[in-house]
Amino acid sequence: MRLLTLLALVLLGLSAQAAEKLKVVTSIPDLADLSRRIGGDRVEVQSICKGLENPHFVSVKPSHLVAMSRADVFVQVGLSLEVAFVPGLLENCGNARIQPGRPGFINASDGFAAIDIPGQVDRKLGDVHPQGNPHMNLSVEGGAVMAANILKGLCAIDPAHKADYEARHAAWTRELEAAQQRWKKLGEGWKGRKVCVYHQEHAYLIRGYGLVTLGSVEPQPGIPPTPASLASLIATLRKEKDVCLLAVAWARRSELEEVRNQAGVTLVELPNMCAGLPGTESWIEMMDLLHKRLAEAFGPQKGT
Amino acid sequence: MNHSILSASALLLGTSALFGQGSAFQTPGMPRQVYGPPKEGTSQDNSGQASRFSSVFNPAFSFVGDIVGDYRSGGEEVGWNAELRALEFGAQAWVDPTAWAYFTAVSDGESLDIEEAALHYKGLGERHTLRVGKFFLDFGKQMQTHIHELRTLERPLVLREYLGDEVSGTGVQWDHWFSANDTTAVRFSLGAFSSLLPEHEHGEEEEPEAEAEVAGRKSIGNLNYSARVTGFTDVGTNGTLQLGTSARIVPDFAFVDEDGGGEVGGLDNTVWGLDVTYGWKDETATKSFTAGLEFLVNSGDVGAELGAAPGDAPIVADGTRTGWLLFADHGLDPNNSIGLQISMAELADADKTEALEIEAYYTRYLSEFHRLRFGLSTLDVDGADESFRAAVQYTFFVGAHGHGVNW
Ligand SMILES: [Zn+2]
Repeated sequence: MRLLTLLALVLLGLSAQAAEKLKVVTSIPDLADLSRRIGGDRVEVQSICKGLENPHFVSVKPSHLVAMSRADVFVQVGLSLEVAFVPGLLENCGNARIQPGRPGFINASDGFAAIDIPGQVDRKLGDVHPQGNPHMNLSVEGGAVMAANILKGLCAIDPAHKADYEARHAAWTRELEAAQQRWKKLGEGWKGRKVCVYHQEHAYLIRGYGLVTLGSVEPQPGIPPTPASLASLIATLRKEKDVCLLAVAWARRSELEEVRNQAGVTLVELPNMCAGLPGTESWIEMMDLLHKRLAEAFGPQKGT
Repeated sequence: MNHSILSASALLLGTSALFGQGSAFQTPGMPRQVYGPPKEGTSQDNSGQASRFSSVFNPAFSFVGDIVGDYRSGGEEVGWNAELRALEFGAQAWVDPTAWAYFTAVSDGESLDIEEAALHYKGLGERHTLRVGKFFLDFGKQMQTHIHELRTLERPLVLREYLGDEVSGTGVQWDHWFSANDTTAVRFSLGAFSSLLPEHEHGEEEEPEAEAEVAGRKSIGNLNYSARVTGFTDVGTNGTLQLGTSARIVPDFAFVDEDGGGEVGGLDNTVWGLDVTYGWKDETATKSFTAGLEFLVNSGDVGAELGAAPGDAPIVADGTRTGWLLFADHGLDPNNSIGLQISMAELADADKTEALEIEAYYTRYLSEFHRLRFGLSTLDVDGADESFRAAVQYTFFVGAHGHGVNW
């Protein structure tokens, strides 16, 4: 009997501990990885987007709605990256704890200096994002900003475990610093290397390493190419040598191949978010793969 | 309850205070004197008040244009035509922290109709919404959408035959959803309206017909009701399945011969529906597949023909009619999709004449904000010539734009 009582108490204790975990929902897997790293065993994390998806086209599923309705914390990139699904989810989930302005809402791009902020917001510019290029999760500096915002958010909502969060964030930051050394070394010879893009996801890397963008398969962000725009892009690329065409899993294969075959460029498949391509479970691993693929594509010779 | 009464009176007080402020030296409706030029870089004057001339609280506006060019043969209409089918103008904004309001006005170039004007009140608690005003009937998967938002050019045969082309009612609707498990959400709605019969489109009628009408004033039992329950669940990692059932109840209405003057009252009608929808997206969220089935039962007094002579009462058809629609859509990429929709219905005449409509369509989004659609359709009514239509639809969306949850 005493044993049973003890067992019951232990089970109760375990379930209470499990129930105490913060339920974190993130828009993309990069934020899920960072939330797990900083939250540790204090959090239970779920991402809405999967690693190969185009975040601009994700549609809402019932599991997303249920997860959002139960969440203690919601983490998004912001900068209008998730406009296709986050506003609808926030509006319909009926969860006051995670609404913008509440402690349970974390905007991971807060304080990040976005590039390509349009001087004029007009659909003439395509599917333009009024707050600038939203793909900050693919910038070398983005990781630290996302992690800092998650740390701040978790500490605010669960101050009792502030020290734990800070310790884990510090450990992750040391890993990040080591990784940034690797990336810096790899990227040293890249200045002036020529690329063509499909979409504008890698604009931060391109600017950071001083790569030269010769064109884009999408004539403007979110606007599919026309036969004329493709022909003019191919004509431009034909005049150049050693051009890498950067693309992610969702880019249209037929157009990528047309450009590659007709313009003689090297197609480089890059990750879009973490947990998509093999070996990209964490944000740092994903950025490692990104740099590795670029280094392979650019080859050992230094750029001009 | 107390809370809502309180906030209603607070709202009234607030309004009178607002009008009271400048009333001593101001004629209601006339612009107030503005002192000095607007502050640089703002739309406000220098009064230091966000007054009625301030645009800081302006709602978000949008408009949609829907243009159709088509060729028809075989039916009553033959030949080419092009029309601005709809110019839709809308606005939306939060009213206060618990409610947002919107309206949609639509014109075909001649008259301007308010299709929807409603307020969504969220103050009842988590996952509850109270909708008040005029808005579309919550029935199946396709009645809540404006025609230009459909996957096909027209509302499918069985829906327009049993419910109407566009059905909006003035009333109130309570919506709630809850989770059945980690991957399943269940939503229901209950609505009470003054009338849920479609509005007649005057001026466009080719031949006189008996029109269904609900009386303006009625007992509470004779209000029109709508109800819907739907379960929505994940299927594997890439799919979703939705099951739903809906009803529209019109307990008391009349068929009226507006030209001849004949009328039959005391009629009732109930339409009941069942819907199944399966959706799938590939691992990059760019290729998709959607298939759906809706089955409808129309019972009670379903339709009427004009009496033999002017002044005679219309001859009412009653009993049960059934019909269905089935569609399959394939999104080749975010910009291109193809699909096929088939709809069959027993018409609301005394003979239960069968009709079959088939539509094949290709949609190309030139970008997220405008789209071209090519549709080929046939309508085959027993005992009549088969009619054919080939159409091009061009639709553009300007301004504020959002994606809700489609369930
Ligand atoms: Zn983008």
